[in-house]
Amino acid sequence: MKVFVESSDVLPLVDVEIALPVGSLRDPAGREGLAQLTGQLMRFGPRGLSRERFEERLAHLGARLSVEVSMRTTRIRATVLRRNLEAMLALMARMVWEPALRGADFAKLKRRALASLVARLDDDQTLGAICFREALFGTHPYSRPLSGHPESIARIGVDQVEDFYARHVANGAFFVGVAGDVIDAEARAMIAGAFPSVARKKSRSAEVPPTRLRPGRHVVIVDKPERVQTQLFIGTLGARTRDRILFPLIVSNTAFGGMFSSPLMQQVRAVRGWSYGAYSRILHSTQRDAWYMWSAPAAEYSAECAALQLDLFEHWVERGITRAELGFAQRYLINSHCFDRDTPAKRLEAELDIELLGIPRSYVEKHDELVAGVDRQRANDATRARISTRDLIIVVVASARDVAGAFEALPDVQSVEIVPFDQV
Amino acid sequence: MVAPDVLVERLNRGVRKRNARCTFVSDQAFGEALRLRRFRLGNGLTVLTLVDRSAPTISYHTWFRVGSRDERPGKTGLAHLFEHLMFNETRTHPLGEFDRLMERAGAEANAATWTDWTFFYENAPRGTLPLLIELEADRMSNLVLRVPQVTSEKEVVANERKLRVEDDVEGKALELLYANAFRRHPYRWPTIGWMEDIRGFTVRDCRAFYRSHYAPNNATVVIAGDFEERKALALVQRHYGALSGTRLPRKTTVKEPLQRAERIVRFPAPTPTPKLLIGYRAPAFSDADTAALVVANEISFGGRSSRLHRRLCVDEEVALSVRGSISPFVDPGLYEMWFAIREGATIQSVLALLDEELGRLGSDGPAATELEKAINQLELSFLHTMETAGGKAEQIGFHETVVHDGAAVFDRLASYRRVTAADVRRAVSKYLRPLRRTRVEITPKSP
Repeated sequence: MKVFVESSDVLPLVDVEIALPVGSLRDPAGREGLAQLTGQLMRFGPRGLSRERFEERLAHLGARLSVEVSMRTTRIRATVLRRNLEAMLALMARMVWEPALRGADFAKLKRRALASLVARLDDDQTLGAICFREALFGTHPYSRPLSGHPESIARIGVDQVEDFYARHVANGAFFVGVAGDVIDAEARAMIAGAFPSVARKKSRSAEVPPTRLRPGRHVVIVDKPERVQTQLFIGTLGARTRDRILFPLIVSNTAFGGMFSSPLMQQVRAVRGWSYGAYSRILHSTQRDAWYMWSAPAAEYSAECAALQLDLFEHWVERGITRAELGFAQRYLINSHCFDRDTPAKRLEAELDIELLGIPRSYVEKHDELVAGVDRQRANDATRARISTRDLIIVVVASARDVAGAFEALPDVQSVEIVPFDQV
Repeated sequence: MVAPDVLVERLNRGVRKRNARCTFVSDQAFGEALRLRRFRLGNGLTVLTLVDRSAPTISYHTWFRVGSRDERPGKTGLAHLFEHLMFNETRTHPLGEFDRLMERAGAEANAATWTDWTFFYENAPRGTLPLLIELEADRMSNLVLRVPQVTSEKEVVANERKLRVEDDVEGKALELLYANAFRRHPYRWPTIGWMEDIRGFTVRDCRAFYRSHYAPNNATVVIAGDFEERKALALVQRHYGALSGTRLPRKTTVKEPLQRAERIVRFPAPTPTPKLLIGYRAPAFSDADTAALVVANEISFGGRSSRLHRRLCVDEEVALSVRGSISPFVDPGLYEMWFAIREGATIQSVLALLDEELGRLGSDGPAATELEKAINQLELSFLHTMETAGGKAEQIGFHETVVHDGAAVFDRLASYRRVTAADVRRAVSKYLRPLRRTRVEITPKSP
C-alpha cells in the first residue's frame, strides 16, 4: 500500500482519496457502464450497515464522499472535518474492502442509471462530446461512454458487479492519499490501523490497441428539435501521455486555443461575437487521445463558424505559431502553474496521477523547464506531426434541417451522418 | 503586521490629493489565524486586506454595488452587459490588452453579475499586484464605449442567453419562476436581460450606466493572499487616488406585495422528462430567519441522507435529483426547489410528497441528531469555500456588499450553530406555505 500525505494546517479539513487503477476500459464489450455501476454500488456502503445508516454516519461525520470512475481509474474521494478523520478512514476502508453489494440496492441503482441516461438527453454539450468520441474512435475502447447505454446497462446483473469487484478491486493495487490538516506520521498511523495491509500485486493497466485515424473529414449532426444554439466539436487524434513531443504540442495548442487571448477565442468571440466561448484542448492517454475545438454558435451561423474555425485551424497547423505567440503561451503556462498546486488536495492529486496514469514525474516536477524548453521549430513540427487537417470529425448538435446543407458544403467533407439525439 | 494607525500615517505622508488619503476603519479577526483590515480612500473606495501566506497566490476582487435590480424595464441586462464590456478597450489600453496582460502574468480574470452586485476578480501568482491594481483602477474610470465594442458584446450576450436560457430547460424555468413570483420588484427580470432589451442597447445607454455606477464610492476592493499590505495600499492610493466618486443614483426600495395565492406556470418543452421548479417567498439574506431556513434546507436537500433526497430519489424513485437553495439577496427573495422527475412519475406525485415532508418538518421539527448532522455539513461547506485566496476574497466581497461586513462570513457559521429545532419548525411553518409559492411545471412536449 502506497500512502501519500500533503500536510497543511490552514483549515481544519482533510481530503482523503483511495485511488484504484481500474476504470471503464475494463468494461467487457456489450456491458459498457459496468465499472461505473460497480463504483456506485460500493458507494451504497459496507456489509453490516444499511444504505440509510451508512449515509447517516457520513453526514454525522461532516463528510462528503464520491466515487468517480474514468477510463483508467476509480477514485473514492472524501472530504471530512479534521476532528472526524480517523472515523472516516475506518468507514471508507469498510466501504471499499467490505462492500455490501446488495441485490436490492443494485436494482435501484440500475433504474437510476437508466433514468440518468434519459436525463442526459437534456444536456446538448454532453451529447456532442459523447458523439464526438464515438465518431473519432469508432470501435476502439476509447469511444465507450463511461455510463454505458440503455442496452448495455440492461445486460448487467449484480453477479457481474460482484465479479468485477472481485477481479479488479478486492485484490488489486490501490493508493491512499490524505491532504490537509494532519501531519504525516499521524496520517500514516491512522491509515495503517484502518486499511488492509496485505501486499497487493501491481495491477497492470488495461491494455488497449493504438487508436487509428478515420481518413477524411466527416460530419455528424446530432439532430435535436428546436435548437437556436448549437454545440460544435471539431477534432482529430491528439497525443499519448509519453509522447516525446507532448510538451511542444501543449504549448502550441495553448497558443492556438488554450487562452482567452488565443486566436481561436479572439476570432470567434471577441471579433465576431459568434459564441460565448471557443477553445481547443489536447487530451493524452496511453494511446493517442483526442485533440478538439469547441464552440457554441447560434444555429444561423453555426456552419459559418465551423468554416472560420477550420480556416484558423489549417493556418495554425500549416504555418505554425509565431515566436511572439510561443513566448506568450510559455509565460502563461509557467506563471499560472501555481494554481495547479495552491491547495493540498491539488498537490495530492498530482502525486496520484503519477501513480495511476503513468504520468512521468518530470511532467510535474520539471513542468516549467519542459515548457520553457520548447522552441518555435519544435512546437510547429509537433503540431504538424500529430494534428491532421485532412482527417477530421465534425460534430454539431443542432436541428438538422437548419444546418445540414451548410455543413455538407464545408471544405472536403466526405460524409454527413444524421443521428437522432435520443439515439446517442 | 504594522499597527494600522502607524501604517496609515506612513501611507499618507506627502499625499496631497484628498481622494488618495487613506483612513483606517477597522481590524477584525478572520477565523483563528488571519486578520481582515478595512481602509477607505478619500474618494470613498473601501479596501479590505487579508494577508494569508498559505499559498504563493493572490486574489484581487472588485465588487460594485450594482446589479440587475438597478436597471429599469426596457433596459434589462445592462449590468450583465457591463460585466463583458469591462474587459474591452480603455483610454490607456487598447482592445484585448487587458486579457493579454493578465494571461501573460498567469492570472485568471473573470467576473459575475447578479441581482444586487457585479464583481470582477483576478486570481494571480504573488508579485503581480502592481499590474492588477493598475488595470483595475484604469477600467474603473477609463473605459472606452464605442459602437464596435458594444455591438460585438451584445452579440456575445445574445448567444450566451440562447445557450443558458432559450436552449436550456432549467434556465428557462428559472426565468419563468422569477417573472411570475415577483410582480413589482426588479428581481422579476432576468440578470442576463430580455432578448429584445439586449438587442436594443445603445452606446448612450452604456455610457450613462457606466458614469452612474462605476466609481470608487460604489466599490469595494478585496485583496487576499500572499502580499505586503503596505505596498499594496500605497499602490491603491497611487492608482485609485486620482479618481473621483460619482453621484450615485438613490437605491429605491420596492416592496413586493404579499403573495396570497399559489401561482402556477405550465411550460411544455422539448425535454424527455417532467421538471418542477418551486419558489417560496423567502427572507432577505440579512434577516434573522435566514439561518433557520438554511438549516431546514440542509435537512431537506443536503446530500443523500437528507429527507427529500431519500424519500423522492431513493425510496419512492420518483425523482432523479432534487435540490434547494435560498437566494442570497439584499431584499426578500425566493427559496428555490428543483426536482428532476423520472420518466413515468408525475409532477403531482412529487408535489404531494414534498408537501407531506415539509408538513412533517413544520409540525415535528428535526431530531437533535438531524440538526447536528446539518450543522456539520454546513461547517464543511463553509470550510470548502475558504480553501483558496479566491474563495476567501469572494466570501469577504459578498458579505461586505450584501450585509456591509466582510468578516460576517464567520458570524453566519455561528448563526447556523445557534439554530434550534424550534427555529426550524417556526421558519418552515412561516415561509414554506403553498399560498406563498410559485410553481413552474415543465412537461415534455410531444414531438
